[in-house]
Amino acid sequence: MAAELEVYEEDVVTQYIVVNLGIEHYGIDIKYVDNIVRVPQITRVPNVQSYFKGVINLRGEVIPVMSLRLKFDMPEIEYTGKTRIIIIKLDPTAAIGVIVDEVEEVRDLPESMTERQTPDKNDASQLYITAVGKTDKGLVSILDLAAVIGEKEVG
Amino acid sequence: MDVSQYLGIFLDEAKEHIQVLSDQMLILEQEPDNQDAINEIFRAAHSLKGMAGTMGYKRLQRLTHDMEDCFSAVRAGQLTVTSEMMDVLFQALDAIEGYVDTIQNTSDEGDNDNDSIVNELNRILKGEAAGSGDAGEAKKEEEKKEEAAASASQSAPDDDKAIYKTIELDDTQRNVMKDAIVSGKHVYGFTVYIQESCLLKAARAFLVFKAIEEAGEVVVSSPSSQDIEDEKFEFNFSLFAISDDDFDKVKTAILSVSEIEEAVGEEYNEEMLDESSKEEAPVQESEAAEEKPVENAPVPVSAPAAKESPAAAAKKPAGKPVVSRTIRVDIEKLDTLMNLVSELIIAKNTIVSAAQTGQASGNNAIVENVEYLESVTTNLHEAVMKVRMVPIESAVQKFPRMVRDLEKKLDKKMNLTITGEETELDRTVVDEIGDPLMHLIRNSADHGLENTATRIERGKPETGTIFLNAYQDGNNVVIEVGDDGNGIDVEAVRSKIIERGYASEETANQMSDKDIINVLFDPGFSMAKQVTDISGRGVGLDVVKSNIESLGGDVEVKTKLGEGSTFIVRLPLTLAIIQALMVIVGGEKYAISLDSIQTIEDIPVSDIKLVQQKEVIQLRGTVIPIIRLSDVLGVESSRAENENLVVVIVKKGDTQAGLVVDELMGQQEIVIKSLGKYINCDRIISGATILGDGEVALIVDANALI
Repeated sequence: MAAELEVYEEDVVTQYIVVNLGIEHYGIDIKYVDNIVRVPQITRVPNVQSYFKGVINLRGEVIPVMSLRLKFDMPEIEYTGKTRIIIIKLDPTAAIGVIVDEVEEVRDLPESMTERQTPDKNDASQLYITAVGKTDKGLVSILDLAAVIGEKEVG
Repeated sequence: MDVSQYLGIFLDEAKEHIQVLSDQMLILEQEPDNQDAINEIFRAAHSLKGMAGTMGYKRLQRLTHDMEDCFSAVRAGQLTVTSEMMDVLFQALDAIEGYVDTIQNTSDEGDNDNDSIVNELNRILKGEAAGSGDAGEAKKEEEKKEEAAASASQSAPDDDKAIYKTIELDDTQRNVMKDAIVSGKHVYGFTVYIQESCLLKAARAFLVFKAIEEAGEVVVSSPSSQDIEDEKFEFNFSLFAISDDDFDKVKTAILSVSEIEEAVGEEYNEEMLDESSKEEAPVQESEAAEEKPVENAPVPVSAPAAKESPAAAAKKPAGKPVVSRTIRVDIEKLDTLMNLVSELIIAKNTIVSAAQTGQASGNNAIVENVEYLESVTTNLHEAVMKVRMVPIESAVQKFPRMVRDLEKKLDKKMNLTITGEETELDRTVVDEIGDPLMHLIRNSADHGLENTATRIERGKPETGTIFLNAYQDGNNVVIEVGDDGNGIDVEAVRSKIIERGYASEETANQMSDKDIINVLFDPGFSMAKQVTDISGRGVGLDVVKSNIESLGGDVEVKTKLGEGSTFIVRLPLTLAIIQALMVIVGGEKYAISLDSIQTIEDIPVSDIKLVQQKEVIQLRGTVIPIIRLSDVLGVESSRAENENLVVVIVKKGDTQAGLVVDELMGQQEIVIKSLGKYINCDRIISGATILGDGEVALIVDANALI
């Protein structure tokens, strides 16, 4: 207990939403998460980036959604009852949805428990990761949201 | 009291005055003898100077003062209007505008003294008048005389108007004033009349107090200063003031405040002060006096307007003037209102679709009321839309000045005619349309019009014409910008395309004239042999095109070699809500704006012909290319191959095309939503909308398909 408190005092603690794609865990900084919703009807948009699944209606707003699996060059799977769309707002006026297999938990991660990552150019999913956090359940890759949603060039 | 609360008024008025100056200076340059123009200029410059002084903007005040001196000399006939002189005056005007912009951004006028312009102005004043002695002095003398004359004309104040006489002074006040007189200062009584059209009486009154306090102090006022501040007064107020300045100077200071109709006053000496104590003003009299100015049409006697013709004065309506029934509303509030209307329409669409399909479909009362609801929401939308509409005037009014500058810079003679500046457009569009139009006019001036020698050679009038015509066409507003210059030399563009390696010789030679002209709108392509600072960097037409398209409009060119070219800009009246035809293609729902649709046709497959590998149909004598939306949108058509085709005929300008769809769903009012910045969709999808059942449908931009 005492040891943990000490960690809290000197560390910057960030809350992450931990999501799963297959067996991998990814962390999304909670301050950019606007909402988490089930998959509604998605309207396909022709001739767009392949990882965009289309647009959805979220309480009267039209929001584009992308598949994180396709973005990371992973095979697509059928949506299940656990599939969720994380609505992310990096910019308060522009929302974007990211489809994940499952939302696991909300977790506090002190900075001391994360390790900066140099992206491995050969692995598509590695391009979008800033750090790796260690938890009792295993490793969580912290997503570089700006890179994921295409605000900055990677690769 | 703090001046900053009047900053907004100052900025609004300053801009108005600057616009008046700009307009009238252009007139003056054309007609150097136009007395109305010079009077108007003088009045605007004078007000601007006064306002700047009151607000404490010394640099702005100095510059306007020097400008005013110049105009004053022109008015007095000591200076003749020359082009060179107008150049300097326009520079000064630009500098003034610069000050005002800086004030708007920082609440401070900045520290640019603009000495060179001030010196230049003074040089003009001195240099030109060298023959007739010291012009500056002479002019000032004249100005004084004029002012004296203006004030003399009513130096014996009308008792009815001199309400200050009824102010009851207490002993302390009287003693203060007497002391002032003994110590060599002056004491004045004033009644100030504010124009009845004035909306901010308290602000005006404050500015008057401020003007007086620059060289003195106000001893007492009626109503009290607190009441004046709270706007608890009619259109006049009275006061006693102590000042170092002489009567005329104080009076001029008061009159220099805008919207002051009249100032009646006189100087008091000790005896008069004593007398005023005895003279107990009967209450009725003061009431009568207060009503007086309302009944009598007030005659404008303010010094700058003193020269106003009697006719103009007579025009003032007797009795109560019509009070302007308008309010200013923050655009953000209108945006909110528009968003709410959008949401209401989405909700209405949900009810409409529920009423048509649900259990209620047989219930007449519900169906009828749903129809009523539809018409109410449509009217509501139109009403809100109209509130947001403003004339394009504010976007185009700076162009005459710009063309004048271009005339000098390019050394070509040209004339700009503007028609339809009263055409109304959504405020957002008007704010954004200025830049693209400016590019087009510059383009006409620089590339379109030939130089004077060539024009004479070609038998054209020496002065080139640039025109800007705006008019409403259905649900669009069309703005045409063009010139009677050389037109676009398609062959020259073609060779330029090849020369610049923009396309291979073979491709270029196959391109139609229209395709060639469209290349002009591509980023980075410029025809100019020389890059001038007016245009020719290749960042003109492509910016124009993308700006206009981002507003939901489009631009096309008509040109005839040797006769000129016209750019036709087409803009939607409203941005947010449109009437659309809903169609189904490959099981997906799409909306097509009703504005672009001409007819809907049922065409047998056998009617389709092939021309240059492209499918076309013949419709009432016209050959129309057809576009299969299923191919463009990347879906399988749900129709059998031999079935008749449903073809939606759309048009853009003079061009038509037929869009093949699977099924028609009907007409609907839709709210346009953006797809957001992350998704890089094709230009053919211009947005999305939410249908009654909550589903998202995409909007197909027919213009982009043609």
